[in-house]
Amino acid sequence: MKEYTYMPEVKRVFQCTVPGGNIRQVFLIDGILQEKESEQNGVSLTSGPDGKGLQLRISGDHSENPIQIISVRSEDLPRPLEFYNTWELEPGAKAQIVVCDHTLREYLYQTVRFSNITLGEGAVLDLLFMQNEHGRSRYRLEVDAQLKKEARLDCHILSLYGGTIQNKVTVHLQESGAVCNLDGLYLADGEQNVTYDIEVRHNSGECNSNQLFKGILDEQAKARFDGIIYVAPHAQKTEAFQANHNLLLTRDAKITTLPQLEIYADDVKCSHGATIGSLDPLGLFYMRTRGIPLSEAKMLQQMAFVQDVLEHVRNGAIRSRLEKIVESRLRGEFTKCTHCTMHCC
Amino acid sequence: MGKTQRDMLKINDLYVSIGDREILSGVTLEVKAGEIHAIMGPNGSGKSTLAAVLAGRETFTVTKGSAYFMGVDLLALPPEERARLGLFLGFQYPVEIPGLTSVNFMKAAVNEQRKYKHLPPLSAGEFLKLMREKMAVVEMDPAFVGRGVNVGFSGGEKKRNEIFQMAMLEPMLAILDETDSGLDVDALRVVANGVNKLKTKDNAFVVITHYQRLLDYIVPDIVHVLYKGRIIKSGSKELALEVENKGYDHIISGT
Repeated sequence: MKEYTYMPEVKRVFQCTVPGGNIRQVFLIDGILQEKESEQNGVSLTSGPDGKGLQLRISGDHSENPIQIISVRSEDLPRPLEFYNTWELEPGAKAQIVVCDHTLREYLYQTVRFSNITLGEGAVLDLLFMQNEHGRSRYRLEVDAQLKKEARLDCHILSLYGGTIQNKVTVHLQESGAVCNLDGLYLADGEQNVTYDIEVRHNSGECNSNQLFKGILDEQAKARFDGIIYVAPHAQKTEAFQANHNLLLTRDAKITTLPQLEIYADDVKCSHGATIGSLDPLGLFYMRTRGIPLSEAKMLQQMAFVQDVLEHVRNGAIRSRLEKIVESRLRGEFTKCTHCTMHCC
Repeated sequence: MGKTQRDMLKINDLYVSIGDREILSGVTLEVKAGEIHAIMGPNGSGKSTLAAVLAGRETFTVTKGSAYFMGVDLLALPPEERARLGLFLGFQYPVEIPGLTSVNFMKAAVNEQRKYKHLPPLSAGEFLKLMREKMAVVEMDPAFVGRGVNVGFSGGEKKRNEIFQMAMLEPMLAILDETDSGLDVDALRVVANGVNKLKTKDNAFVVITHYQRLLDYIVPDIVHVLYKGRIIKSGSKELALEVENKGYDHIISGT
């Protein structure tokens, strides 16, 4: 008998603790949609042309009814997997999508997930990727988003755990008034390796973009942040900001950060900045003089460091859940989970 | 001051260095329960170093001497254990911790202390009640506790926050390192009132200051003058007035 069975009892075995309520859960196992294709209340849900991935087409306001896409690698497919997702919001549509990626066994999984996103005029998408795999997995996310007039994309990527995690996000601000807020948080230890490759392209004037990426690296972990803001020659009145801040907990942890601006217009407001630092010894001492033990003081300082990234997650229930997951991750509780790769999320 | 007073702090011939530089050169000091001591001294005399060493700052090296707190060898303990035993350091420059609210900071501190005393953590309601009560002691705006610890606080607000934290933790011995520096008269009064309200016959205070001004509000039992890493003179509160009127040079040359 198998240790795990997912279908048809996916929900029974997979105890997802992201707060429920009005969340609609959609399961993909090894890239294959686990429910019937449907079209209801302005949400059309189908498999891709190759039978894999998820195609979403959304119209109307669904901002209060998040869709959670839970993508699980099973033990049945140890081969590399690639799947394409196409998500389209029609003009004026509003949606909240939470993507959770997991593997169930400690195989050398390799997963590539492509997400092509189109936001029509005035559409608003709040998108959250939770990357929670295991120490031997290889995971790559590629997002390519096109924003039409006055569309808004809020994209949060949380790289919680995984052997190798690569994120490549390209956002095209195609028409005036488009807004894009990109956040990322990466937590890595051991031999883990995380890369972020971000490109925000201001192809039209009067668009606004904000980026905040933060990472905490422990032990021998490595990360790389490569971020470009491109402003096209005619894209006047652009406002584009980028920040990348890193905390290294050991001398062996490494971060390479490459913030870049490429500006061809002359009436723009742009900034970028990157910092690399360690825990603040005076802050730790301050906390200890209040009776807080060193380990807890370190923990509080790390939680304080990531706080602003988490605060950007607007859904309160999801945000407090994330705070708990991040905290247990920073406490090293994930590594203790030898019997399971779910890390309780 | 009866003879039955309990020893709070006993420092004997303490030598402290940072790198090759000796900062304290044989400090001896005894503080008993129910007393307020003031330590005065010119810049660079070692006042803040003494406070930091007693609280457990690791950048300093104790090369000789001892310090006992309620009979416990203080120098053998990490800072958090000193704090849990009831030692408090009010910082001259309170540290800003963006992203950590005062509520969460104090909750962690109070519950660590309770854990040490084998008490269960306070419920959210009990904790908020305690916070409100103690904020009133220093006339602190309740909005502050929702903000990052000391972030965007003025100098006076930071010092008030130190006294608030002291009120929350109810230490046996509080060392206040230049709590008066950077305070206007009103803030000074609030801070001093806070100290006076918290003063009992069972606890003790060591107040480090440059100026006599603070001692108009917090009346010390004993005043010490620290110079070049040694206590060169101790006396009643009149010694502070002497410093104020005649300057340190007078006292230094007179010894």
